[in-house]
Amino acid sequence: MTYSTANLYKTYMSSARAARLVKFGAGLALFVFGFWTVSFLDIPMDRLFGFFGRLGPMLVNRIFPPDLVYATDWKILMSIVETIEMSLLGAFYGTVITIPLAWWAAWNITPNRTLLYPFARAVIVICRSFPALILGFLLVAIFVFGPFAGVLALTIGTIGFAGKLMAEQAESIDMGPVEAVRATGAGPLKVFIFGIWPQVKPAWWGIIIYNWDARLRASTILGFVGAGGIGLHLRLQISQLEYHAAMGIITLVVVLVIISEAISHFLRERLR
Amino acid sequence: MALLEVNDLRKSFATGEKALNGIDLRVEKREIVALLGLSGSGKSTLLRCINRLVDPDSGQVVLDSIDITSLGKHELRKARVQMGMIFQEFNLVNRLTVIENVLSGTLGVVSLWRTITRAFKKQDIHRAIELCSRVGIAEHITKRADQLSGGQRQRVGIARALMQNPKLLLVDEPTSSLDPKIGAEVMELVCEIAEERQIPVLFSVHDIGVARTYSQRIIGLQQGEKIFDEKTSALDAKSIEHIYGFAPDGPSAAGAH
Amino acid sequence: MSAANPISIENPLRRSADLFRRYTIYTVVVAIILAMSVHLLVLGTDWARMGSPSEIAETAISLLPNLNFIPKIMSPLLDTALMAFWGTLLAVAMSIPVSYLAAATTTPSMIFTFPIGRGLIVLSRSTHEIIFALIFVACLGLGPLPGIIALACRSVGFMSKTTAEAMENADRGPIEAIVATGAGQTARFLFGVVPQVFPIFLGNAIFAFDANVRRAAILGMVGAGGIGLHFSEQMKSYNYGNAGACVLAVVILVIVGEIISNRIRTKLISG
Repeated sequence: MTYSTANLYKTYMSSARAARLVKFGAGLALFVFGFWTVSFLDIPMDRLFGFFGRLGPMLVNRIFPPDLVYATDWKILMSIVETIEMSLLGAFYGTVITIPLAWWAAWNITPNRTLLYPFARAVIVICRSFPALILGFLLVAIFVFGPFAGVLALTIGTIGFAGKLMAEQAESIDMGPVEAVRATGAGPLKVFIFGIWPQVKPAWWGIIIYNWDARLRASTILGFVGAGGIGLHLRLQISQLEYHAAMGIITLVVVLVIISEAISHFLRERLR
Repeated sequence: MALLEVNDLRKSFATGEKALNGIDLRVEKREIVALLGLSGSGKSTLLRCINRLVDPDSGQVVLDSIDITSLGKHELRKARVQMGMIFQEFNLVNRLTVIENVLSGTLGVVSLWRTITRAFKKQDIHRAIELCSRVGIAEHITKRADQLSGGQRQRVGIARALMQNPKLLLVDEPTSSLDPKIGAEVMELVCEIAEERQIPVLFSVHDIGVARTYSQRIIGLQQGEKIFDEKTSALDAKSIEHIYGFAPDGPSAAGAH
Repeated sequence: MSAANPISIENPLRRSADLFRRYTIYTVVVAIILAMSVHLLVLGTDWARMGSPSEIAETAISLLPNLNFIPKIMSPLLDTALMAFWGTLLAVAMSIPVSYLAAATTTPSMIFTFPIGRGLIVLSRSTHEIIFALIFVACLGLGPLPGIIALACRSVGFMSKTTAEAMENADRGPIEAIVATGAGQTARFLFGVVPQVFPIFLGNAIFAFDANVRRAAILGMVGAGGIGLHFSEQMKSYNYGNAGACVLAVVILVIVGEIISNRIRTKLISG
């Protein structure tokens, strides 16, 4: 087939024109959508323009400097310890439940595709769909105020978060060794221990550590709804308009999260 | 007056490795010159020092009476337009189409607005299409670059370099990532076009056969030093052994990479 | 099967030393978990106030969604979705300059701008969205606007970090080729870097949107717009059925958001 340059030119120009039209149309649609959102959500655009003007003085006068004397008080530090403990317990119990669940939720290795697989998948999806704070609030109402609800919320959060990642990871393993073990006539548990676990172990450990890091972040705020941890003190100080103290707590939390991320990063690098 | 003059070019890397140890060479207005040498002999570094993708430590590069080595950023960009480069790994932008890749050859001269909006000039688009026809990829111009075979991608690279209307073609091991047959086709194409448009070519290669077949003059490099600079016909077994450091088994041997 | 450890037959002593070490670690870990569990769940929990199992079940059942309440929360639910969308978009816009600063290959100054970029990323990722929301509500009043900005501040860290990493890991070859044509910095960025980074960028934006739907649902609890306010109000007034309806709405929104995100992401990978 001969391609005359004139034809090619037309082809290119029409496709380039079409692409440009689509981009322009999308941009226009986004613009219109923005205007609609502003009116629908009743956004006070005038307040937006004064935003930085108000943010500056507020940060300087009301929030800074953070009250670190308050923040290093024994009660607060114990609360931080409680926060860390909550995250560890939630991550631990959650992981214990999630390991079999993720196995069942992986299409390639699940022992039963008709019942166990959809069940496990559903559990993981549902556990994933509850924001931690809402979960915490509900569990405090059902059970009792305090870290019990928090640990439960974190456990459920782990199932949703780590469950999805672990199942996805499991679905990408090499089925060769798995089939080799199956071929020996071993039952599903043995297949898991000898064929699956050795392959997923490093990646799953990485996910377990990553999950703990995420749980710690969540546990710092669960106290806001009474589910244990430092969040309670934060809420208290804010409601008493003690903003410097609140900022002290926030500083502590930020430092805690940064340290935990460094630890998590370090451990995951060592895994390689 | 040679089109390209390289005087006492030196380059060492931070690791202490001496890539170029005082290279002198010349390329005349209508020559095809092969840079022959093993891996690590400094061929790629030399080519990149010529258009200053790598800045030499000392020495001079003169293109058409302009001292490239002393140019400021802005002038260097203009000078680079005059040197079209073709790469061993093709170096196309995979997500863009063939025609967009060829048109990117004009990025040295188009305005900022055209760069941002990708609205190239009509003449450039026509020229790009013509070049695509010339190198034989006309039917692929709206395909994404990563959908093409190796040989086709190198053709796109050739077209892109030619979009610059360069005075000189710098070609870095054009056939090393290609099958010998495809590689030969690509080399043929480069030489044909060089003849047609009267552009000199400096190409680096480690295969003697390719060097012999397509060049008029051969410059041999070994460990950063020039040890051979003669007409291709003067390349005999003894000089081959000198360049490679060992005796080859046959006319196109020592292609070991 | 290189992951499985071969049994070392040569040195049986080493094997038992290995096993001993393993079991010691297991015991220590279990002991720590046990201690923490006792501390938090036994001592730290007011079991008297928890009530009997039947009381607990009663409370749980009262949380079952009161479907009559659903129509009243459709509007706040939409607010939540819009907040998530615009918060993500704002984060995407903000992440462009931040990732430019935080990528070693593009940052103008490794001593000044690079640490600033990385520092912003760290702050963004370490601060909970509720904290951002509290600050912005104090500046801008109640409503979805502070919520949108809070979500953006929370997501910009993730977007910038991944984009900066993608830029640093970009294939040098095409970039080199663009420079060799005499192109300037803008062309080098737009044609050399952006096409390589864009798919990752878009995929991450969708991932961030997914996360922001969940976050937007709770910001209302501190007055930053969305369904969170209604949820906490119903809970505080013990209208548990209504609160359950809010939760159901959130769960459905999150699931729908995930389905849409997955669809778009698969289209991106295949497209």
